[in-house]
Amino acid sequence: MEYAFLAPAIPAGAFVVILLFGRWLPGKGAYLSIGAIAASLVVFFVALIDMNDSGPEVFSIDWFEVAGSTFTWGVSVSPISLTMVGIVSFVSLMIQVYSLKYMEGDDRFGWYFAVHSLFAAAMLALVLADNLLFLYVAWEGVGLGSYLLIGFWWERRSAAEAAKKAFITTRIGDVGLLIGIILLFRETGSFEMSAIFDAVEAGEVSKTVLNWSTFLIFLGAAGKSAQVPFHVWLPDAMEGPTPVSALIHAATMVAAGVFLIAVLFPIYEATPFMLDIIAGVGATTALGAAMVAIVMTDMKRILAYSTVSHLGFMMLALGAGEPGIAMLHLLAHAFAKAVLFLGAGSVNHGTHQTDVRNMGGLLRKMPITAVTFIIAAISLAGVPPLGGFFSKDEILRAVSEGRLNEAYLVIALIAVVASAIYTARIIYKVFFGKDATVETVVRGKKRRVAVEAHESPLAMTAPMVLLAILGAVTGAIAFEWGDFGGFTGWIVQSHEAHGIEFTAWLTVVSAVLAIGSMVVVVRMLKSSPGRVVALRRQFPLAQRVLERKFYFDELYQWGIDRLVLALAGLVGWFDRRVVNDEGVDGPAKATGWWANELRFLQTGLFYNYAAAMAIGAIVAAVVWWAQ
Amino acid sequence: MDLELLHFQILSAALFSIGLYGVLARRSAVLILVSIELLLNAVNVNLIGQAALVDRPPDERVFGQVLAIFIITISAAEIGLAMAIVLRLFRNRGTANTDELDTMKW
Repeated sequence: MEYAFLAPAIPAGAFVVILLFGRWLPGKGAYLSIGAIAASLVVFFVALIDMNDSGPEVFSIDWFEVAGSTFTWGVSVSPISLTMVGIVSFVSLMIQVYSLKYMEGDDRFGWYFAVHSLFAAAMLALVLADNLLFLYVAWEGVGLGSYLLIGFWWERRSAAEAAKKAFITTRIGDVGLLIGIILLFRETGSFEMSAIFDAVEAGEVSKTVLNWSTFLIFLGAAGKSAQVPFHVWLPDAMEGPTPVSALIHAATMVAAGVFLIAVLFPIYEATPFMLDIIAGVGATTALGAAMVAIVMTDMKRILAYSTVSHLGFMMLALGAGEPGIAMLHLLAHAFAKAVLFLGAGSVNHGTHQTDVRNMGGLLRKMPITAVTFIIAAISLAGVPPLGGFFSKDEILRAVSEGRLNEAYLVIALIAVVASAIYTARIIYKVFFGKDATVETVVRGKKRRVAVEAHESPLAMTAPMVLLAILGAVTGAIAFEWGDFGGFTGWIVQSHEAHGIEFTAWLTVVSAVLAIGSMVVVVRMLKSSPGRVVALRRQFPLAQRVLERKFYFDELYQWGIDRLVLALAGLVGWFDRRVVNDEGVDGPAKATGWWANELRFLQTGLFYNYAAAMAIGAIVAAVVWWAQ
Repeated sequence: MDLELLHFQILSAALFSIGLYGVLARRSAVLILVSIELLLNAVNVNLIGQAALVDRPPDERVFGQVLAIFIITISAAEIGLAMAIVLRLFRNRGTANTDELDTMKW
């Protein structure tokens, strides 16, 4: 199965070809890019069938050798990596097909697809990597791809700022990841994951190192997966083209952090303290982001906070000690969130509006978009029997029965209610209710005119339909089917694999909470919108805090202005005054002064030079003679 | 009285000192060149004296003579070139007095 390396290699090759020869290719290289990612998907299917026959395997070749350590790079074909390859290649393929129409006529059409290929290649390499060093290289490649795509319309200042913010925020976490990897290498002498797992299991790694390295690696994962307090970049990342948001939010970027913790879970299992931290961060993220999503007005921003919240759920599942369940939720969320963002792009394409207050009644005008969007949204809110319901239920069960405190269950249930509220709100505001109007100036007078809307072309709706169907049925793989022992056990290669289980009271409570709060919200919005406004007025403080997103951006801005810039000013002063004036200009001035003094030795009279030569020769002779 | 090595060396040293004095003290470029010839010939006298009288096998002593012939050849070429330069200098500047030739100073 060493051919699995082709999955990242083909898109990477496509990137290079499009970059160099894109302008002469049909569709500026778009078709090549789509073909490449489709080939990756084929590789996935072939590898999946092979793995079913012969089991997971690792292939690696030597990379370089230094100081007695051999560094390798290779692919690890295992259930967890193949699952990710499947998600990434399929979602990327759908999004690239969608982009054909969405990005039509853009000046940098070819470049867009080239970077898409790069992004997908980096992510595929990341999930297939068999050692941490190679994984880190791919990890940074993903960061680069996201930077280029978020800042795709860099002429817009906000897009350039968002790209920078995403890159720097994730970089801060990445520093932690790199140090964590190096700590593990120093302790075990290997980057190979299996070797590290063996060393940890054999107790060869000291407790302190293990705690620090797992914590630092979690920092990297929290940065990429937008956990509090690194979540700030993700909502801004919607400045990129909408299909890019779909890609980042569904498959290629934010999934990396959850995947990293899941794949390194044998290490985390040995550090229960870190699992508590992960669970705490995940629960905070899940609840906080879901609450912020309730008051946001930009359609993509609501979805972005929804993503942050769901990533929090995945982290919570990891913290509860269930990587399989986290991966199940990742899978269900990837398909559903891709549909939601593609739907948002379709709405934006059809109406040229981004604010949900300017939308309404789109169900009739954009039926395909509406139906796929609604299915995906209620799936994520946890409505049975859609995919999101099963994964969410599994998470809640893991939290209630696992190693975690009951408080986590309460937080998770509140987050479920909050998710249901924002889901109901966005569905109602966009697709139901009164037809939207927007204020424009017509012949010098302000008028409210109806928003024009039309359904998007087939190239855009077909990917949405496919993704929505897959997202709706992902719940099926959680069950046992003959030899297949259920997804959550299969993916972690656990021997006591078993299918999904239900805790009756919890399932009922979560489903009732989700559906009930959605019904309540829709009824309120429909029958008495005034009461919603009144309700908001009653809690001005909560309203303001949520609208300012818990003041995270303000806090960071304050930190940058007051601390970072002050320190930078100090360093700058030191550089100008001490390093430049004294260190660099000082020797230059001294040399100049001495040169000016000494030049008067040059009389130009040649008998002076002759005398100097004669004296020198005599002195040399005397010295030689005296010896 | 037989000639001894010391006599050659005293003659050589005297010639060299006179030549050195001439190079340093004369102001006329032509006289400086003449003094340089004295320096070279002082060396030649020394070499010939060594070649004739030093206590060495004959096939080693012959190097002194060979070297002296080299120096004569080179000094002939040198004086030809130097005189040409002095001549051009005099034509262009109207003087060969080295006191006045200080355009290379700081």
